[in-house]
Amino acid sequence: MVLIVGFIVLIAVNIIGLSVTSRRSSAFGIERIAISAIAPFQELVTRSLRFSRDIWRQYFYLVTVARENYVLMNQLSQAVENKNQWHETELANVRLRDLIDFQRNISERVVAAEVIGRDPSAWFKTVIIDKGEADGLTRGLPVVIAQGIVGQVIEVSKHYSKVMLIVDSNSAVDSLVQRSRARGVIKGEATDQCRLDYVLRKNDVRIGDTLVSSGLDGVYPKGLRIGYVSQVIEHDADIFHEVIITPFVDFEKLEEVLVILEVRKQDWASRP
Amino acid sequence: MSYFFYISACLFLVILQTTIMPYLPLLDKFYDLLIPFIIYLSLSRPVRESLPFILFLGFIMDNLSGGPFGLYLTTYFWLYVGVKGITRFIQVGNRLVIIAFIVAGGVLFENLILLGAFAIAGSRQQFAGDAIEIVAVQILWAIFTGSLFLLFFRNAQSRLGAAFKGIYARTREQDKLTD
Repeated sequence: MVLIVGFIVLIAVNIIGLSVTSRRSSAFGIERIAISAIAPFQELVTRSLRFSRDIWRQYFYLVTVARENYVLMNQLSQAVENKNQWHETELANVRLRDLIDFQRNISERVVAAEVIGRDPSAWFKTVIIDKGEADGLTRGLPVVIAQGIVGQVIEVSKHYSKVMLIVDSNSAVDSLVQRSRARGVIKGEATDQCRLDYVLRKNDVRIGDTLVSSGLDGVYPKGLRIGYVSQVIEHDADIFHEVIITPFVDFEKLEEVLVILEVRKQDWASRP
Repeated sequence: MSYFFYISACLFLVILQTTIMPYLPLLDKFYDLLIPFIIYLSLSRPVRESLPFILFLGFIMDNLSGGPFGLYLTTYFWLYVGVKGITRFIQVGNRLVIIAFIVAGGVLFENLILLGAFAIAGSRQQFAGDAIEIVAVQILWAIFTGSLFLLFFRNAQSRLGAAFKGIYARTREQDKLTD
């Protein structure tokens, strides 16, 4: 009986206490002390947890970013490689178009070839091309590109040939000054230039004049461009001009060439 | 094994100097890379092993070059004989400075022979100026890099030899075990 009464009183006191405290805006100050005491620990734990959570999240984030970065880097390098290939293809396309346009302008049968090697010596100017006997090439055939004469085939194997460039010291091309029709022989200098020999001083040769093949050497068809006059030196005691020729062909950048298979003698005269 | 190394090295050097180096701005007037190789053979290998290969090299280069046939054959043969002769009087060993000057001398010798061919053909004064410049550049390259090439050849051949010996010993052991 006493226990029941005591229990009821305790409930009543509790309810009264709750109703009294619920009307007050603040407690008796104990909670402040409690808050002051506990809050720093709470803060510390909470911040630590957040810090750990952030590190965890950042770690995964970084892993993801690293993976993504790796994938993107791969894609970028592939794109750069593709771009480079496209650029190379574009350049090859331009060069081949030039060659095809040039091929349309010449009536002779030609074979396109690629330069695959150069002379091992600095003194001789030859290149190796990837066409040979199997493609109909023989010794002495002229080699040209759209810019002008490259040289002539001097050795032929089954699938490859050696071409002597017009800048080689053993090369000679019978030629004409296009403007004045003065005749001479263009010889290689083993440098990047040639010289025009046997042009009489009475003939008119000026800097900038274009030289074309005369067709009289029996190798090159008439009218093919060779180079331009870059220097004319006059010697008092000489009956010939000393003429330096710069070829139109840039031999350092030679990649594709055309080999003329049949030089028709009857066409030489009809050329300009 | 030696011939395998010689052929591989020769192929590598010839391809390097006919397809890659002419397009590189500073190296387009580099000296003939087979010169250090011939000097290496002359200094380090027996005559019966190296001489046939040197003649073969000369033949290959004469075929690739636009010069008169036999020019490289002559150059390589006399270079080989010359270096063999020099080593009778001078102890070369591992002295890099002497090796560098032997390579430079080899480069000069080759250029003199090639220029001799030009002189016979009748060259001009303007060309002589260019020739002096080219030869000077090649000799300078040879002085600075010639001994490095020689060391590389020596190192590569000894490593390759050791690797082949290892493989041979292992196969012999396996054969003995199976017997």
